[in-house]
Amino acid sequence: MLPEFELLMPRTLPEALEMLAGRAPDGMPIAGGTNVIPDLRGGRYRPACLVNVAGLPELSGIRQEDGMLVIGGGVTVAEVLEDPLVARYAPVLREAARSLASPLVRNRATVAGNLANASPAADMAPPLLVLDAEVELASREGTRRVPLKDFFLGVRRTVRQPHELITAIRVPLPPATARARFFKVALRKADAIAVVNGAVRVDLGDSGFCQTARIALGAVAPTPIRAYEAERALEGHPLTPETIAQAARLAAEATRTIDDIRGSAAYRRHVTEVLVRRALEGLWSRE
Amino acid sequence: MANFKVVGKPIRRFDALSKAVGATVFADDFKMPGMLHGKVLRSPYPSARIVRIDPSRARALPGVVCVLTAADIGYAKMVADIPGQTGQRERRGSETPVLAWDRVRYKGEAVALVAAETEEIAERALDLIDVEYEPLPGVFDPLEAMKPGAPVVFEPDNIVARWRIRKGDIEAGFAAADLIIENTYRVPFVEHAYMEPESGVAWVDERGVINIRVSTQVMEHFRTVARTIGVPQNRVRIQGAFAGGGFGGKEDITVEVFLALLALHTRRPVRLAYTREESILAHSKRHPYIMRYRTGVKRNGRITALQAELIADSGAYPYLSPYVSLYSTVMATGPYRIDNVWVDTVAVATNNPFTSAFRGFGGPQPCFAYERQMDEIARALGLDPLEVRRINYLRTGDTTATGQVVHSAVLLEESARRALEALGERTPDRGPIRVGRGFASYFQSYGRLMWLHDTSQAWVGLELDGTVVIRCGAPDPGGGQLSSLCQIASEVLGVPLENVVAYTPDTALTPLAGTTTATRQLYMSGNAVLQAATAIRKTLLERASRYFEEDPDDLDLADGRVFVKNDPDRSMPLADLVRICAAEGLPLSHLAMFKAPFRDPIDPETGQGDVFPDFTFGTFAVEVAVDTETGQVEVLKSVACHDVGRAINPAAVIGQIQGGSHQGLGYALMENLIVENGEIKTPSLSEYLIPTSVDYPTTQVILLESGTGVGPFGAKGIGEPALTPVAPAVANAVVDAIGVPINELPITPERVLRALR
Ligand SMILES: Cc1cc2nc3c(=O)[nH]c(=O)nc-3n(C[C@H](O)[C@H](O)[C@H](O)COP(=O)(O)OP(=O)(O)OC[C@H]3O[C@@H](n4cnc5c(N)ncnc54)[C@H](O)[C@@H]3O)c2cc1C
Repeated sequence: MLPEFELLMPRTLPEALEMLAGRAPDGMPIAGGTNVIPDLRGGRYRPACLVNVAGLPELSGIRQEDGMLVIGGGVTVAEVLEDPLVARYAPVLREAARSLASPLVRNRATVAGNLANASPAADMAPPLLVLDAEVELASREGTRRVPLKDFFLGVRRTVRQPHELITAIRVPLPPATARARFFKVALRKADAIAVVNGAVRVDLGDSGFCQTARIALGAVAPTPIRAYEAERALEGHPLTPETIAQAARLAAEATRTIDDIRGSAAYRRHVTEVLVRRALEGLWSRE
Repeated sequence: MANFKVVGKPIRRFDALSKAVGATVFADDFKMPGMLHGKVLRSPYPSARIVRIDPSRARALPGVVCVLTAADIGYAKMVADIPGQTGQRERRGSETPVLAWDRVRYKGEAVALVAAETEEIAERALDLIDVEYEPLPGVFDPLEAMKPGAPVVFEPDNIVARWRIRKGDIEAGFAAADLIIENTYRVPFVEHAYMEPESGVAWVDERGVINIRVSTQVMEHFRTVARTIGVPQNRVRIQGAFAGGGFGGKEDITVEVFLALLALHTRRPVRLAYTREESILAHSKRHPYIMRYRTGVKRNGRITALQAELIADSGAYPYLSPYVSLYSTVMATGPYRIDNVWVDTVAVATNNPFTSAFRGFGGPQPCFAYERQMDEIARALGLDPLEVRRINYLRTGDTTATGQVVHSAVLLEESARRALEALGERTPDRGPIRVGRGFASYFQSYGRLMWLHDTSQAWVGLELDGTVVIRCGAPDPGGGQLSSLCQIASEVLGVPLENVVAYTPDTALTPLAGTTTATRQLYMSGNAVLQAATAIRKTLLERASRYFEEDPDDLDLADGRVFVKNDPDRSMPLADLVRICAAEGLPLSHLAMFKAPFRDPIDPETGQGDVFPDFTFGTFAVEVAVDTETGQVEVLKSVACHDVGRAINPAAVIGQIQGGSHQGLGYALMENLIVENGEIKTPSLSEYLIPTSVDYPTTQVILLESGTGVGPFGAKGIGEPALTPVAPAVANAVVDAIGVPINELPITPERVLRALR
């Protein structure tokens, strides 16, 4: 059953930040509530106070600004799915959004909530990691930006301070020569937590050699991770079956998988290699 | 009645719209003034001695009205035997403590009850009941539980039931075989996961009768409630509601006894509704089975002998395990003509969640084994799987393994051919994606064991304006049971369907019709309504024959009129005829009782005898794509072809089949209640996955209508059969795709990869 808590309903961002500062550390933001409410019911935590950040005008909308795609801290996964800027500049994020939960949940679930919740299997994390996204964190004291790759600390732990809010997720507009792909294996087609998820992004420039390569993986370590070794194995090389196979192998080696009810460690490692290989192969092939 | 007006038409069920728009009042939606809220305290251990229960702190909490432990209810026990009208004496060990006092045998067993002014207070009170447990060693595997020295779940040993079939000469059968195929098959615990968790409201009325409005498949539980809590049977009334699914999980008592006790002790209305997590913890599951099969065959595929050993995990209490395991025994051979059969079945107690009825009632598990086995035979002999089945399929007039003669049509071959044809052109392989096809045929009983002496009653009455009321205590958990009864009355009385009303079952208002289980409701209550309506029809036509001066056989009823068949202009509104009859005191209502055939129990040593009124036959065929690198299985197409005898409402029948098909696909590929050391590792719908609407494409349904069933108008039953053949068909398709056997459910990606290694 839902425990009792105080619910604060700020109308502006400054008001929200004020409330969080005043109630830290036992005030907790709630956006879509699709993690918070089940967690409260399941007794995972018991905050004395929830601060509702859904609908704050400052956190709304997706815009293009100074070479960046800026996704507001209150944007829902459903909005990501519909947004023309995302479709144009970050289709990999769209792919991931389509695989997250189900239409009902997506209508409430926010991208910021997905990241702040810091599940190792969060579907928004791998595409945003390969896009070199930054998380914008605001508090009463000011604003800071943290690269997403440095944002996660452990299972459900991030660098976010309890009185900070994610106000935006900022994605540098990728060059037209870059391509990206999302992948996910789950035990069901909708409303299912990933057994393994991930994304790859490669920029071949006009040289035919990988100028940048990004490989991110979820559900294979305590946090979403980048497979740096695998990325290095591609950068400076052309995409060939050999380099792809090597990168896929290194990606699998980067995992620190565990056995759980969704899959064994060995299966996760194996599938990581298969999916990274296929994703890289798929970048420039038409399916 | 060759030309049906209403029967056989895909009508829109009267309950459909209200469910679609959320207007149906389910058991959980019902509120009473001054209503309290109940909660159940459950054991955190799968096996423990209770040292002490102290409810005093909970009782002292403001807002708590009542806390009940076993001591407060006279250490009551409930007989969890097969419900309803039964000629069978109770089986050993079928008693279950209502609340545990000395010992808990599974995690989630009820230990205390609370009623409080609010749900929150009731929940807090649970934390304040001090129970001291001393954990005991438990046993969690049926094979371990059968070994000497294993912890005993209840005295004298862990054997809940044994059944056997001895037919023909098994040794000679194997000696005559060219080849013997031997395999072991395993299937898991499965959760019903109906949309509506168990719930109800109870109160004591001004007569002192305990009223329980509850989501159930069995109205007759009022008797069990009365007996358990020690009141006369006429002091308990059960009001049904549309149930949000049951699938067998609401065949056993769920909240009824708890509600009755709390209402009786507080003298106030009490509501009790399980959360999803509590539902998963507290109610029965489908039995896991270990099934060892040995089949002797001739080189042409003809089976000479079949030996099966079936081991079912009954969990911590027997509930319906003795009967489920009997069903498995009777259906262990599949729909095949086999002269030499030897089956040994045992249901074994463990400290796992208890198992009981689940759609198919012991039919789906052996179907997985016998239909995988048929494909393994075909593979070993290099024969076509259809050919191997074709020469062994039962035919009308053949006997089953228990020696029962099948009298109805057996359209197995036709169903298999039609289903396979409908799969159409084979999808080609694509790199690591391999496509496979498989099918499975089955037989599944409908109607109850014949020695239970099953009956159903229905009352049908005409009102003075020519409208019709049906009173029949048939619970409707979503199959459209009540709607079909309306169709039957509408057909027989010639009254437009919208002028027929069927009441929701209520033991105070509707005659007892028996359980909505065993795929029996259309068969039993359909026949009861048919009988009642036919009696009224006779009265009407006899009176009209005097009016028209025609023979009753030359008259008919349709569209709310009575008319002369070969001169339809000579007619009269039915309402006028009704008024004439009423004025003359002719009976315009009728209470009918339909009796299934009664037989003696089967011989316990040989399993020989008649068991069921009839069987449904059919085939499920499926095409899958297997990703050989990730192990993922995609269902590409599926076809279900069943002989339903007669589709009273084809829309409802197709719905049943598509629902059963989806549930079966989940059983095949996804559903897996993981239990480790008595603990459910998939305690919510976030871990226990059931299919969503996007997981599998809609199953194409082909209806065969032999008209040879024992239901009304020749109908057979389809509720449970729809699920039975699905999982083995999928397994056969996966094996076809990857070329190596898979003999365990569910077929998870990991299992596929392991098979390929
Ligand atoms: C049925 C179901 C299926 C699901 N399936 C998936 C799935 O397939 N893939 C997947 O990745 N997830 C899934 N989820 C999880 C969930 O929907 C996502 O993680 C979602 O994106 C969380 O967003 P929210 O707005 O609902 O967050 P909330 O539940 O409101 O909050 C989650 C966390 O983020 C914090 N938070 C929220 N907003 C902010 C902010 N602006 N700044 C700082 N902190 C903030 C909260 O304090 C909390 O710690 C599923 C959930 C459900 C209920």
